[in-house]
Amino acid sequence: MGPNGSGKSTLAQVLAGHPAYEVTQGEVIFDGQNLLALDPEKRAHAGVFLAFQYPVEIPGVSNSYFLKAGLNEIRKSKGLEELDSMQFLKLIKEKMKVVEMDPSFINRPVNEGFSGGEKKKNEILQMAVLEPKLAILDETDSGLDIDALKIVAGGVNKLKSPTNASIVVTHYQRLLNYIVPDFVHVLVKGQIIKSGGKELALELEADGYDLIKEEFGTMSHA
Amino acid sequence: MSNLVNYSHYIGEFQSFEKNGASQLPSWIHEIRKSALNVFTERGFPTTKEENWKYTNVNSIAKGMFTYASNKLVTKIDAEIIESFFPEGKDHHRIVFVNGHLSKEHSKLQNLPKEVVVRNLIEATKTHGGIIQQHLSRYVDYRNNSFAAMNTAFLNDGVFMYIPKNIEVKGPIYCLFISTQFENDQLAAHLRNLIIVEEDAKVKVSFVYRSVYDHKNLTNAVTEIVVKERANFEAVKIQQESDSAFHVENLRVHQHESSIVNVFSLALGSILARNDMSIILDGKEADCNLNGLYITTDNQVIDHHTFMHHIHPNCPSHELFKGILHGNSRAVFNGKVYVEPEAQKTDSKQTNRNLLLSDTATVDTKPELEIFADDVKCTHGAAVGGLNPTYAFYLKSRGISEENTRAMLTVGFAAEVTGKIVDQELRHYVDVLVVEHLRNKLGNTGLPDIVHG
Repeated sequence: MGPNGSGKSTLAQVLAGHPAYEVTQGEVIFDGQNLLALDPEKRAHAGVFLAFQYPVEIPGVSNSYFLKAGLNEIRKSKGLEELDSMQFLKLIKEKMKVVEMDPSFINRPVNEGFSGGEKKKNEILQMAVLEPKLAILDETDSGLDIDALKIVAGGVNKLKSPTNASIVVTHYQRLLNYIVPDFVHVLVKGQIIKSGGKELALELEADGYDLIKEEFGTMSHA
Repeated sequence: MSNLVNYSHYIGEFQSFEKNGASQLPSWIHEIRKSALNVFTERGFPTTKEENWKYTNVNSIAKGMFTYASNKLVTKIDAEIIESFFPEGKDHHRIVFVNGHLSKEHSKLQNLPKEVVVRNLIEATKTHGGIIQQHLSRYVDYRNNSFAAMNTAFLNDGVFMYIPKNIEVKGPIYCLFISTQFENDQLAAHLRNLIIVEEDAKVKVSFVYRSVYDHKNLTNAVTEIVVKERANFEAVKIQQESDSAFHVENLRVHQHESSIVNVFSLALGSILARNDMSIILDGKEADCNLNGLYITTDNQVIDHHTFMHHIHPNCPSHELFKGILHGNSRAVFNGKVYVEPEAQKTDSKQTNRNLLLSDTATVDTKPELEIFADDVKCTHGAAVGGLNPTYAFYLKSRGISEENTRAMLTVGFAAEVTGKIVDQELRHYVDVLVVEHLRNKLGNTGLPDIVHG
């Protein structure tokens, strides 16, 4: 969590390897590997997944083709056999139930003409299919009405397992009523200034960020 | 004019053309031919000194010494080959020409509504002489256009279509123009097409230009289309001639009040191709969508010159041309929008976007706006670049490789414009051709089929 401009989305994008960012210092060790040395697709193969704040529309390419290509490349990298169309169809139909998505979305172009809520559901669907070890959800709650929020959060909860983790990036406590966090970290000006349990989110909701910023004497009023 | 070209070759060609077999047409056409031949020999082939030809050098055509393909050269073509040029599965309405001459054998027109006329121009002059005389050569002006003059000098055959008032033709009508080889001659086919769509009529047409072998033929077509009040017309042109062929077409649509026109140009073939596409919005509330996709590889040059002429108020026109360029190829897009003083409330948008897939491909893109009305909305934009890095990142973040990312984004780039084709059958037909062509030319078999939402 953190106020606007604190660097939450930047961190999310850097972890996934967005080409607009160049990391000049430090390393990111994930499962013993330095993520920063890997191309974005290799990071995905290693088990990193970013649910985008603004998912991209790709006209002409069906959702199923796109997801099957991703899944099979990840499987290949793990030495697993690729899924054929029948196997994939079975899998995706199952996963679509997790996010209560209409099956007609399988054959529509990726995100094209989807509503804001549908795009976010599609992100969680991809997460369900690709089964990452680490999912980073960047403002997944933005632009969602309460029903869509419940569905998206429900999807994230259903995918939780002892072998995976999620980083949920959000401004608001609202989402955390539905996705109950194990830890809350507060990012201000690119640094984690406070960490705690789920109750920290409630404090933030009540008092706003200014209080913690003062408490920690940050440089926000330079 | 270029002094290097031996125009006496074409004068000789013209004399034997007029003597042999081209004499079936009425005498007024002979007069036009003669006048056009004079224009052609006087003007000569265009050079890059002409503003309209600044980016495209037609020297290779000028040096060609093309032979008029007489109807004796209508060679036998296997039905299977013909079939492979059409979308699968249906009994399409089709009229087929080989080297500029009607092939009755391969045409299928019996399922058209009986009021609808689709036939070759030579036959049509016998049944619809009056209407042909009223419209032929009234729209594409050969007096200031060398290729149109050459076409008009050798004007003989092509498609004639007449869709009467209130008639709607259900499926698309396919016009297939094939060029074939004859010994070592470089053949020229000067197709001449005329389409009249009467008031409140509705029709979809596809013009398909294909070659049977890889040869240096010249197709030099002129197509004139008249769309009357409230009529609805869609045309999809597919130019997929052989890698060595030359292709030139002057296509002009004359739109009347409240008519709706959708034109799409798919340009894949030829070593050198030039499409001049002009739309004259000659009636208020006429609506035009002019779109296109060109894919150039190796040493190809594909040039589109479009002209959108707003004469009356309240006409929307939308234009999107996209290009995918590979190898050492080159593309030209020149889009002119001309808004007359009377044409208030014009709503015109023109966009040209180019995707460069190699470091050696080049594109010249030039929007030209001339606006003489003060209450209009006119926008234009042009872009040249590689694949969008944000899009690429999205795909890669799902584990998709660089190669497949390129493949999907290239297909997506094309799909955005093919999605503008209104008729579903024609859109699918184009989508299939585009993906097949990209798979062949880019050597990437992993390209996905195009889907639309």
